[in-house]
Amino acid sequence: MQITINSNSYEATQGETVLDVAKRNGIYIPTLCYHAKTGQSAKCRACIVQVEGMRGFQTSCNLSARDGMTVQTESKEIIETQKQIVDLMLSQGYHNCLACERSGSCELQDVCYHLGIEKTTYADAPTGRKDESSEFIVIDYDKCISCGRCVTACNNVVVNEVLGFGHRGKHTTIMCDDNILMGDSSCVQCGECVQICPTGALTDKKSRGTGRGNLDKVDTTCPYCGVGCQITLHVDKAKNKVVRVTGREVWPNNGMLCVKGRYGFEFHASPKRLQYPLIRKNGKHERATWDEALDYIVERTKEIVAKHGPDVFSALGSGRITNENNYAIQKFTRAVVKTNNIDHCARTCHAPTVAGLAHAFGSGAATNSINDILESELLFVIGSNMTEAHPVVSYYVKQAVQKGAKMIVCDPRKVDIAHWSDLHVPLSVGTDVPFLNGLINEIIKNGWHDEEFMINNTENPEELKEWVKEYPVEVASKICGVPEETMHKVARMLGEAKKVNVIYCLGITEHTTGTDNVKTIANLQMVLGHIGKKGCGVNPLRGQNNVQGACDMGALPNVFHNYQSCIDERAILKMEKDWGVTGLSRKEGYKLPTMLHKATSGETKILFCVGDNTVQTEPNTAKTIKEIEALEFLVVVDIFPNMTTEYADVILPDVCFNEDDGTYSNLDRRVQFLHKAVNAPGESKPTWWIMQELGKRMGVDLGFHSAEHTWEDMRRTGTIMGGITYERIQHLGLQWPCPTVTHPGTPILHMNGKFTRGLGLFSHTTYRAQAELPDAEYPFILSTGRRLWHYHTGTQTRNSIGLENIFPEELLEISPYDAKIMNVKSGDMVKATSRRGTITLKAWVTDRSPKGVTWCAFHFHEAHANVLTNDAYDNVTETPEYKACAIQIEKVSDGVEVISRGFRQARP
Amino acid sequence: MSTPEKCACGNDDEDGLIERLEEIISSYKETPGALIPVLQATQSLFGYIPQKAILKISEILNEPLSSIFGVITFYSFFSLKPRGKYLIRVCMGTACYVQGANEVLTALQQQLEIKVGETTPDKLFTLDIGRCFGACGLAPIIMVNDDVHQFVKSSAVAKIIKNYRLHEPKTVEVQS
Ligand code: SF4
Ligand code: SF4
Ligand code: SF4
Ligand code: FES
Ligand code: FES
Repeated sequence: MQITINSNSYEATQGETVLDVAKRNGIYIPTLCYHAKTGQSAKCRACIVQVEGMRGFQTSCNLSARDGMTVQTESKEIIETQKQIVDLMLSQGYHNCLACERSGSCELQDVCYHLGIEKTTYADAPTGRKDESSEFIVIDYDKCISCGRCVTACNNVVVNEVLGFGHRGKHTTIMCDDNILMGDSSCVQCGECVQICPTGALTDKKSRGTGRGNLDKVDTTCPYCGVGCQITLHVDKAKNKVVRVTGREVWPNNGMLCVKGRYGFEFHASPKRLQYPLIRKNGKHERATWDEALDYIVERTKEIVAKHGPDVFSALGSGRITNENNYAIQKFTRAVVKTNNIDHCARTCHAPTVAGLAHAFGSGAATNSINDILESELLFVIGSNMTEAHPVVSYYVKQAVQKGAKMIVCDPRKVDIAHWSDLHVPLSVGTDVPFLNGLINEIIKNGWHDEEFMINNTENPEELKEWVKEYPVEVASKICGVPEETMHKVARMLGEAKKVNVIYCLGITEHTTGTDNVKTIANLQMVLGHIGKKGCGVNPLRGQNNVQGACDMGALPNVFHNYQSCIDERAILKMEKDWGVTGLSRKEGYKLPTMLHKATSGETKILFCVGDNTVQTEPNTAKTIKEIEALEFLVVVDIFPNMTTEYADVILPDVCFNEDDGTYSNLDRRVQFLHKAVNAPGESKPTWWIMQELGKRMGVDLGFHSAEHTWEDMRRTGTIMGGITYERIQHLGLQWPCPTVTHPGTPILHMNGKFTRGLGLFSHTTYRAQAELPDAEYPFILSTGRRLWHYHTGTQTRNSIGLENIFPEELLEISPYDAKIMNVKSGDMVKATSRRGTITLKAWVTDRSPKGVTWCAFHFHEAHANVLTNDAYDNVTETPEYKACAIQIEKVSDGVEVISRGFRQARP
Repeated sequence: MSTPEKCACGNDDEDGLIERLEEIISSYKETPGALIPVLQATQSLFGYIPQKAILKISEILNEPLSSIFGVITFYSFFSLKPRGKYLIRVCMGTACYVQGANEVLTALQQQLEIKVGETTPDKLFTLDIGRCFGACGLAPIIMVNDDVHQFVKSSAVAKIIKNYRLHEPKTVEVQS
């Protein structure tokens, strides 16, 4: 249809508003309360227009375009009225732009500029009311125009449900919770409200006075979790520092971020960064030149390998470093040292996902995209504490629930996301296989399964029906501690929904039965026929920023990059030819735990460890330290000193996420770009450069002269990523498989039930209890995980300003039931002891923990979970059982009681 | 509004009341749109809406604190502060205003030593204002609970207050 605006004719489509059409055609209409994300609220009236045949003024932000409409946006009358509206608005507060953080990017200022308003013709009404109580956000009430954008954003975009309007008429004001200070409220400091506020009423506290118009903007990818949020760094070039972060309004995050991504940015400029190569001499780390350090590594490596063969060398890539750097490490390990002993920290998290899903479907990654969550009818969340570990995914999940999707949260703990669910199912720790098999049994019994899908698209459908007969609900219910009627209800909900999206995380994988757990989830979704469709699928939430990519790049002992088997002669010959080497190893390499075990028996002598911090992240720290000490030669490449660098013979300083170009692959297989924004400190160098230099010294030119060269080197022999070039992903990522440069990428795998492996494969899984069960001596189960406010071993989050003020030390979560028996209150010091070690930390009595189950994280080296965790592992993937070990608890001393009020996410 | 059962005699029993409130809220748990009836029940139980009650309602009904607070402050019927045994409402409608309601209000504020919206420390009187009570012929008007006082002069305020005080059993005065 056509509409006329200011006597020009424009094309408009059904559903567009007059504002949309004007905007699209570059016609400026002042707006304040409208934002694409929060939608129309028709509150501010700044956007008024006149329409022929309609009386008075209309607000264009909620005025649907109709064919033949004639609209005027700039008449004298309109401008005069707009002036009055804005004038009154200004008089309700106090708008002095001189020192306002928003000056230059303020929408109210833009509107005044457009209308030629210098100051209000009425008297200002300054109250001086400010709320500076929270760590990262300042509320300046005098600059609030009550547009409501922040309230809608907090309640309907990130769905944290903190902000609201209180009082009436001219006393209307935004407030947190029941009108308490933001710092005391349930706010998680995601900063969405700051990003969406059109004025200086909500601003970033840490960015005050750090610069406005003079900053460079660099688009890049968040260095924290696997969501892979797209961010813009605001950089002070002269100071070589990031001073502010905002979210880009594109997929996968649509502008939303979590507290780490938005406010955890100073670590790159921390004086604690490693800046020079260090060599251990006489028990002390001493500064060395790059030549000395590299020559020394080559000399020792050659010497040891010559004596004992290449398999005494092991290397670790990392889920925290770029694709390019992971590729560089694996190529060096395979092509120069000639061993397949390369692995990385996916071993400790999602290796069972890669193994289990590759087995069942032929591809070991998430089947659907993050945005599919909004299309699902039923979200089946199991073993995921997503509001803390993958916050932006949780925002979409909560949005879906608001739009009417149902949600079941299965987790022994009452994780915060359960607050938004229809049903929280607290199954016993480690009983996922019988629980899921019980559900499948019930689904088949009631004919809720998709018989056609099973017959046409899967292998072993009849066998599966037999296998699950071992787990009728009555039996399963007893093992997993879920009442039969709850299981019936869950099975019915799953069976009746048309689009079920299974989202899971480490609660599934970090068990001795990890791979079986994943296979059982795959079974469930194949029984329901919910694979290869929009809004469905099996969607593991990959943990670290690039743990998907580290797998994609072949930092694994059994595959080259893009999952090409390293024991398949064809693939080996292809690599030998392309890499210009011969004699690649023909046998699979060691997995991470095996690399370490073999140190004590002398079969591993060299460990080349990049971005891993093995000592703090592997289970059973005491044992890990023994293994690390048994090595003959340890090289650590990292950005900060940590528990592992202490043991290193050589330490090399790496660059971090904003100091070089590169790529990360996020949890929905999206390869996204990182732009260099600042210079690295001291003499730090990218890992690809280090590998190139080492290769050269050992007689192989690996061909890495820049991050892009390294990527291109990968792409030449790549398959599923062969079509992804730097040029294509400068602004937006691409989802693999993307085999050719014209391929648009693949949002959904196994489309229409055509599995990557042909037919989907059902597996037989049976219940095996966790390796270490509680007993009289160690009566509590300890489960572990991640916290919202911190990341990995804390080197990044604890070296950024503010996160540590919010969450300064690790807490042991204990159920109110157990706490009462032990006479422990929140804030008391307790000693937690397992068969492997002891840590002392404060207690947090919370109903997040069920009776008998305790929980803590591994971010703080002072008291971290891995001193206690059990090194028993999944027999297929060697992924340790971080989610269950047995401990005893002893009260050490009374503390100041922490009183919690109401529901507050992620902290007492 | 029904007369508060407990409000005027200190908060000795508020914990007991919270338990009763919990039962009430729970009975509404599955009812959509339960917030307003629950708040009404709270108001009549306590005579006002204590913070403890807001937290309980949020917990049981799974409603964000901010929406509950928004509703409470939107309707003047709800009060976040304890109310006195006698609620004095001064009509500020046009007729009353013209006839000197403002002077009456000032006199009341001086006499009770509180501002509008506040309650005397002995929890006897709460002072509030309202819009036209629909009896303009008798302006200016004040209402003390359900008693209407007509043609009130500011000089008469002290006497009206005294009268209510006189009817109070002595124990109330020494309390709190
Ligand atoms: S920071 Fe996030 S959670 Fe806090 S008030 Fe703003 S939008 Fe809500
Ligand atoms: S704080 Fe900002 S976004 Fe929120 S109502 Fe005020 S002006 Fe609007
Ligand atoms: S959700 Fe993950 S990727 Fe997004 S900002 Fe937070 S840590 Fe970064
Ligand atoms: S932008 Fe249209 S009314 Fe505010
Ligand atoms: S103005 Fe007071 S009763 Fe009408």
